[in-house]
Amino acid sequence: MGSLKIENVKKAFGPVEVLKGIDLEVTDGEFVVFVGPSGCGKSTLLRVIAGLEDSTSGRVLIDGEDVSVTPPAKRGIAMVFQTYALYPHLTVKNNMGLGLKQAGTPAAEIDRRIGIASSMLSLEPYLERRPAELSGGQRQRVAIGRAVVREPKLFLFDEPLSNLDAALRVNTRLEIAQLHRRLKATMIYVTHDQVEAMTLADKIVVLNAGKIEQIGGPMELYNSPANEFVAGFIGSPKMNFIDGARLGETAKTIGVRPEHLTVDPKSGAWKGTVVHAEHLGADTNLYLDCEKAGLITVRIFGVYDAEPGATLYATPDPAKTYRFGADGKVLK
Amino acid sequence: MAADIRPKRPFRWHIAIFLAPAVLVYTAIMILPLAGTLQLSLFRNIDQHQVFVGLGNFRTLFGDPNWSVNFWNALRNNVWFFIIHMLVQNPIGVLLAALLSSPKLRFSAFYRTAIFVPTILSFVIVGFAWKLILSPLWGVAPHLLDFVGLKSLFTPWLGKEQYALTALSLVSVWQFIGIPMMLIYAALLSIPDEVIEAAECDGITGMSQFWKIKLPLILPSIGIISILTFVGNFNAFDLIYTAQGALAGPNYSTDILGTFLYRAFFGFQLQVGDPNMGATIATIMFLIILGGVCVYLFLIQTRLRRYQF
Repeated sequence: MGSLKIENVKKAFGPVEVLKGIDLEVTDGEFVVFVGPSGCGKSTLLRVIAGLEDSTSGRVLIDGEDVSVTPPAKRGIAMVFQTYALYPHLTVKNNMGLGLKQAGTPAAEIDRRIGIASSMLSLEPYLERRPAELSGGQRQRVAIGRAVVREPKLFLFDEPLSNLDAALRVNTRLEIAQLHRRLKATMIYVTHDQVEAMTLADKIVVLNAGKIEQIGGPMELYNSPANEFVAGFIGSPKMNFIDGARLGETAKTIGVRPEHLTVDPKSGAWKGTVVHAEHLGADTNLYLDCEKAGLITVRIFGVYDAEPGATLYATPDPAKTYRFGADGKVLK
Repeated sequence: MAADIRPKRPFRWHIAIFLAPAVLVYTAIMILPLAGTLQLSLFRNIDQHQVFVGLGNFRTLFGDPNWSVNFWNALRNNVWFFIIHMLVQNPIGVLLAALLSSPKLRFSAFYRTAIFVPTILSFVIVGFAWKLILSPLWGVAPHLLDFVGLKSLFTPWLGKEQYALTALSLVSVWQFIGIPMMLIYAALLSIPDEVIEAAECDGITGMSQFWKIKLPLILPSIGIISILTFVGNFNAFDLIYTAQGALAGPNYSTDILGTFLYRAFFGFQLQVGDPNMGATIATIMFLIILGGVCVYLFLIQTRLRRYQF
């Protein structure tokens, strides 16, 4: 119904190679998130899947059918853009219905689908409004509705929440998650925000510099990152990386997440001075300048009183310490 | 009582001073001549004296066969001149802009420049060049038509009453097509790529993309070029004068309000100049253009939506 297979897709803009051979398989009904830093090629990959860019080489298969040269409209996809990309001259209703009308869908069927989509996204009161009369969150819901009414095989989301404010982002994220549960459709979602990736995905694809670094479920990436890049990218605050030589280890780099460190005022592995403390209520983030390990972050659950300048000892949880080789790969 | 306590704001002289140059210049070169023209149209020269006649000149213009035949002829011709521009210049300008904005087109900068160049040429050159091109004696038009086997279609277009006005209108279209093209081109470029890509994903491509997405979004620009065309056409004079002379021949068939005004005001050959009647015609032209612009501003522009993306 909505499976996707990408075989060795490469994309170059002139001499710049943006995608350096991507292989990926997405099964029907999966929610896959492409995540990575700016310029890693995640949006380009999505646009290649959509057919808005042609790949330089490689194949894209939707439901087993090679669509590498099929125009976007014939691929059975629907895309939601970061900037909403609504038709500004049309009402919400016509924004959603235009594609179906173009395809010659009977009016009754169009109305039925708009009815379902708008109740799903609570857009009923706004059907006769134009995009200019809607707030950012409403506009993005219309853009999602426009995708829903097409009943596509694949939903493609290109950073849909980036233009929304923080509170709205959480709400809309929830709505997208619910939408996925209701429609059971295959969704591919691009974001640079690892929180969105962790909360939404069945499967996360971490991209860096045009290559896939690792594919896996959120907990898989968190608990067993394949390399230093993924370890650093997933998790917030970021994992601490400590030069192995300073700790007398054979590994090039030692990684330990801030939440896998404990502190004690009297004794511990690494003696350090508090540089700064962030009190978030539920957590406290401490920045410690350690004699052995350098500047590290420690995340403590709950409230912890520590003034800058105080001396604390940090101790890593040995079961949750990662060792990376010179090539950045994790050492087993 | 609070209002009394508040110190009175001193009169801000600098506002008046900064506005003064613009107001003075505009008054001197726009408002005074306009007022002078309106005033002149209400007087008549009787025995070397300016005598107030109210709307008498207008009655003469519309009622006296010596004037009214020429006036209605010029007005009719002017309307036709405008219709040709609206039907030919603006649609082709939109079409050219749509072609130019296509990312697949190569050499688009060259085409853009080439099409825009006639706009910056002088009327005198354009009028004279086209007179030569279309001349049945030494023009290149008959030869060029001969090359493609269509010489039988050639007639001295500028010399025949039934064709001359249309031919000159098309020359004017040729000259000014760059303006609607550029305005629409800019409007098309301002449509965000994402909206077009969303349309591609929705299956709205090719012609239907133009009609359903792009055209509605450039309608405000089409409104602007319509009103520019209207004002330009009803003020036109130069092209007719350089190509056909002040008599706007053959047999007044290319006479428009501008040339009619010129003959009335300054006189030509046997016709003696009459500044009062000239001012009367100028007033009518002013009212026609004012009316057209008001219709546009109050009836059309208020219904056109401008979109922010």
